[in-house]
Amino acid sequence: MAKDMTPPDETLLDIRGLSLEFRTPRGRVKALRDVSFPVRKNRIIGIVGESGSGKSTILWSILGLLSGNAEVTAGEVLFEDRDLLHTSQRDLQAVRGEEISVVFQDPMTSQIPVLTYARQMFDILYRRPELSREEKRRMAVEMLEKVGIPDPAARIDQYPHHFSGGMRQRAGIGMALLTGPKLLLADEPTTALDVTMEAQIIHLLQELQSETGATIVLVSHNLGLIAELCDDVVVMYAGEVVETGDVRSIFHDPQHPYTRALLECDPARIEKQAGKLPVIPGDIPDLVRPQHGCIYAPRCQRVIEGVCVTTPPPNAGTAGGHARCHLLDGPFHDPEWPPPAEVLTVKAGETGRPAGPKKIGEEPLLDVSDLNVRFRTMGALHARLKGVADPFVDGVLDVSLSVRPGETVGLVGESGSGKTTLGRAVLNLLRSHGGAIDFEGEQIRNMPERRFKPLRRDMAMMFQDPVGSLSPRKSVRALVTEPFEIHGISGVDLDAEAERLADLVRLPKPLLGRYPHELSGGQARRVGVARALALNPKLIIADEPTAGLDVSVQGEILNLMADLQAEHGLGYLIITHNLPVVRHIADRLAIMYLGRVVEQGDAEEIFRSPAHPYTRALVEGIPQPDPDRRRTHVSISGEVPSLMNRPVGCDFATRCPCVQPRCREEKPPHFTMNDGRVHACLFPLK
Amino acid sequence: MLIYLTKRLGLSAAVIGLVVLVLFSLLHLIPGDPATIALGPRATPEAIARYAAKMHLDEPVWMQFLIYVGNALTGDLGVDVFSDRPVTQIINERIGFTLALVCTGMGWAVILGIPLGCLAAVKPNSVLDRVTGVLSVGTIAVPSFLVSIWALLIFAVQLRWLPAIGAGEPGDMHDQALHLILPAFAIGLAWVGYLARMVRASMLEVMGETYIRSARAFGLTPRKVVFGYALRVAILPTITLIGMGFGGLISSTVFAEIIFARPGIGKLIFDAVMARNFPIVQGAVLVATALYIIVVLLSDLLIAWFDPRVRETL
Amino acid sequence: MIPVSAKPSDPETGLPAIDSTGLPDHVSEAEVRESAARERLEKIRMFMTNWQGMGGLVLVLLFFASAIFAPWLAPYDPNALDIPARLSGPTWEHLAGTDQLGRDTFSRILHGGRVALKIAAIGVSVALIVGLVLGMIAGFGPRWLDNFLLLLFDTVRAFPTIVLALATVALTGPSLELVLAIIIITSIPQYARVTRTATLTLRNTDFILAERSLGAGVFRMLWHHVMPNVVGPLLILAAMDVPVVVTVEAGLSFLGLGVLPPTASWGTILNEGYLVIRDAPWMVVAGGIPLILTTLGFTFLGEALRDIFDPRMGKGR
Repeated sequence: MAKDMTPPDETLLDIRGLSLEFRTPRGRVKALRDVSFPVRKNRIIGIVGESGSGKSTILWSILGLLSGNAEVTAGEVLFEDRDLLHTSQRDLQAVRGEEISVVFQDPMTSQIPVLTYARQMFDILYRRPELSREEKRRMAVEMLEKVGIPDPAARIDQYPHHFSGGMRQRAGIGMALLTGPKLLLADEPTTALDVTMEAQIIHLLQELQSETGATIVLVSHNLGLIAELCDDVVVMYAGEVVETGDVRSIFHDPQHPYTRALLECDPARIEKQAGKLPVIPGDIPDLVRPQHGCIYAPRCQRVIEGVCVTTPPPNAGTAGGHARCHLLDGPFHDPEWPPPAEVLTVKAGETGRPAGPKKIGEEPLLDVSDLNVRFRTMGALHARLKGVADPFVDGVLDVSLSVRPGETVGLVGESGSGKTTLGRAVLNLLRSHGGAIDFEGEQIRNMPERRFKPLRRDMAMMFQDPVGSLSPRKSVRALVTEPFEIHGISGVDLDAEAERLADLVRLPKPLLGRYPHELSGGQARRVGVARALALNPKLIIADEPTAGLDVSVQGEILNLMADLQAEHGLGYLIITHNLPVVRHIADRLAIMYLGRVVEQGDAEEIFRSPAHPYTRALVEGIPQPDPDRRRTHVSISGEVPSLMNRPVGCDFATRCPCVQPRCREEKPPHFTMNDGRVHACLFPLK
Repeated sequence: MLIYLTKRLGLSAAVIGLVVLVLFSLLHLIPGDPATIALGPRATPEAIARYAAKMHLDEPVWMQFLIYVGNALTGDLGVDVFSDRPVTQIINERIGFTLALVCTGMGWAVILGIPLGCLAAVKPNSVLDRVTGVLSVGTIAVPSFLVSIWALLIFAVQLRWLPAIGAGEPGDMHDQALHLILPAFAIGLAWVGYLARMVRASMLEVMGETYIRSARAFGLTPRKVVFGYALRVAILPTITLIGMGFGGLISSTVFAEIIFARPGIGKLIFDAVMARNFPIVQGAVLVATALYIIVVLLSDLLIAWFDPRVRETL
Repeated sequence: MIPVSAKPSDPETGLPAIDSTGLPDHVSEAEVRESAARERLEKIRMFMTNWQGMGGLVLVLLFFASAIFAPWLAPYDPNALDIPARLSGPTWEHLAGTDQLGRDTFSRILHGGRVALKIAAIGVSVALIVGLVLGMIAGFGPRWLDNFLLLLFDTVRAFPTIVLALATVALTGPSLELVLAIIIITSIPQYARVTRTATLTLRNTDFILAERSLGAGVFRMLWHHVMPNVVGPLLILAAMDVPVVVTVEAGLSFLGLGVLPPTASWGTILNEGYLVIRDAPWMVVAGGIPLILTTLGFTFLGEALRDIFDPRMGKGR
């Protein structure tokens, strides 16, 4: 690649020994400790880490925009020989936006809602008095065009809420690049976006970087994104840099046990359908307490008693990077480490239950056929005034789906695909408007709540937000035993039940006395599982069961769910946008787009040879955590159309790379293929 | 937009309608003959008969209500029991004094309170912030009628700097302005505190928003960030507060008018209540509540004008 | 409304709070796990060190004590006439002077506090309970009921309190019960609206949906899951509302529309003082001070409670 030719030692930004603390009521949180790494010119450097690693804090300390309770205790941030940590606010302000610019994580909240893009971009150019208003506007329009905003001359006068999420992020990138900064900081630039949008933004950043030669510091938890975009990588854990190196050595030959474990946990990297996912046991350490020796030691599988409490040798590693670990250097050097790539260094699953062949029942537990859910878009009066005959949109359209006992069905789609709506309609939390829902042969669609209530014992739901789905003023014990009270089950010892359930979901019993906000995401998720399991249901609908969980712990929940399924023969309907994760646990997949199922069938088959172009786009849209498998093209462009203007023909026709004229006119019915797969494409892929 | 406006206007009309209904039922719910209640036990039978005819008391109650509403829609609020003058005319004479007082009182509060709140929010925990904080709680804590009494005591009775009673000579702008100072001070004082605190709180909240940090990350000047960005958003809840709090302002205006013997609507209502002059009470209360509803409506429209998101979801 | 379906996970919020109160972004999960007892202790400690809150508490306790023990504290019978000493200024015999009839103003102030306490205690608690119930019904009930109740609340709010009081007094004549009724009626909408807004927000949260998915009934959801989350802010609101109520009573009594003479009330003392303001200015001063102290006390207390227990509620008031 061309950019590898540039002299590698030209350092634009150098972070040296940066230590930072936050004053909190609990004490001083040592958020960054002795962080050092250089950022080389014309390269993209990725800072990767899980939550609590302090990766974003580094970005904000570069810009001097830390919160008021932050205090830099040591170190310097050198930008072209200026130490940004010891620069006056006025000089920093001159650097911000002009020389260093930022792309923010969430474009929905990082752009002021009451000003047009034109105004926001004028404001950024305020330091260019030599430019006339017209010239500034022309510059802004050109920039919007460059980042792929259609019809930029008109859209520049719109407000952020007129733009969709992807468009907003494009505009955000445009605003950041407007002044031609030397250094671009990107804070999780695709985290708030869907898979297909993410691919487009990655592609855009790649293009812009090779075109302008800007230096980019990219912060992300997404290993695939880092592998796809970056030249250099910094791996952080709990406020420390554990390993640095160029992208290939990090991904192909990780030295530090944490880097190695992190990569092994990424479901996108695991090729075969494992059923069980690897996890790193334990939690991130409490950064208020003083830390000694290796910060990762308490969770490390290769910890050496009495050794890892001492500071690991500072610099040992390969290819210009370094990793801090006793295994790599010094008296405890282990020539066998790191083991070959095929060997797992972390355990898969927590218990030794055999993951034998699954027992899947014959008769469907849940059978949904041709289900429709419609949403009112405006009031009846409003519609009449506007002359709208049908003030409804189809949130879910003709969906057929079944779940058998012991089977896991993955329902996959981007935001707005109607997957959550479908889940709620099945549980009678929303009214549906057509079709049928059968549960164990009984028609349950829109059943009155009085009659439906006994059925709720057999069907439970896990919600997306693990903490938010627990009533905040109730103790865990009360929450876990509430189902017994709701259904008036007497004659059980509630305390004993609470403990039984805590055991079942491997929740430490002392936590029963806590309140939801005192739990970590993983623990709250376990409470949610316990509540769902309290009355021995037959079917569980899980909405994004891994949302909000770090890569290293999401496996715990999925493994737990797999164990419970093996034990109780549960049927799972897992609603998710996360294709790599669902791939490992689902037996069958249903892919939804704009409220319709576009493809449905055996999970492995779908991954191997997608029949619908949208499925293919989703599968290809996952950035691979392998720098040698970078994509050169983006398979689909554009965005999910609004439900309000559903395309006349195939829903996907507006974005499909292999669209035919017929697709725009005819809504494809569902076809069944020889292998039992169902798809909705007039010209399925071979 | 049009639909929103229609809806809001309809709702406001409904509220005013209900207000009339409440006033009307109050009059008819209490036991006894309305005419006797209105004119007092010593009224002559002729007077009572005349009153009953004038007020359509011989009609059924719902008919009386419809007649009243119908007349009110055409601007006819009935006739003063004692002077036989149209209520509308009496209110017209008085409302100017009330409006002048309300506008001045609110005006100085807005001009002082909003900048104070901004300055306090820009430097939280600074001396200015602390002083503003204590002062605003202090001003909120003193009931406005007490402010009126004490202001009267200090500036008019003891120091004799300003006139105590009345609204000044008709036609003499200078004298009228002098008479406006004390009551306007009294009704506005609490609002200075309210507004400063409100603006400070919402500014602090907005200053914590991600988009404010992006503006700072793009290197905009602090002045631009505070006044060009943060205040633009933070002003919205303040406008709502002003609209909502207008009812309280009317209450304190009533007190100020009574204490300073200023011939506005509030004094009119009070005197009419004391004299049991129902047509005036009814009419003036209707006007006062309508005023409040109009202000709330205006504040909602103002927010829509400021905030494109609201503007479009209308 | 189209429910927005799942957004991609957001493992790190990545945003350090700009204000100094918020916790920074990378407070680890381990740190969030703090025992409830410790947090409560911390809040009590915060309150104890908050001079505004403690000052407010002292004033509020003073208000309660002086009202409850007025008969024992007052040096004179509040209605005992001492004609020779009429309109006396503050002396050792009459700490706050006497009025036109020679009654001891200090004793009258103490007894007037009883009226204020009675009105505040009954008025605020009844309004709070009714407002809470109506607000939850509006927030959780069907759309038409919500709209209807809202219209009702708006209508009541459309009457400025004093104007409504004047209109009613015009018909029924002044009485303490009337004052109480007016205070309750005009206070209900604000409690109801706050409850309604909170209930509406809660209604769409995941945890209420989770309760529904478990089969919980409406009553259970309201009683066990909505109310505990609403009642805290409402109690703080009530503390801040006490001064308003006391002021309304004093104001109405001042206008001669509330408590009937010779019963002592802060409002009637002010009224009598207003009539003789040119000759005996200390009376309006003395009558105003307890009013201000009470108002300050409840305001400070309410604000401190709000800042400590409910930092998000600062707006909307």
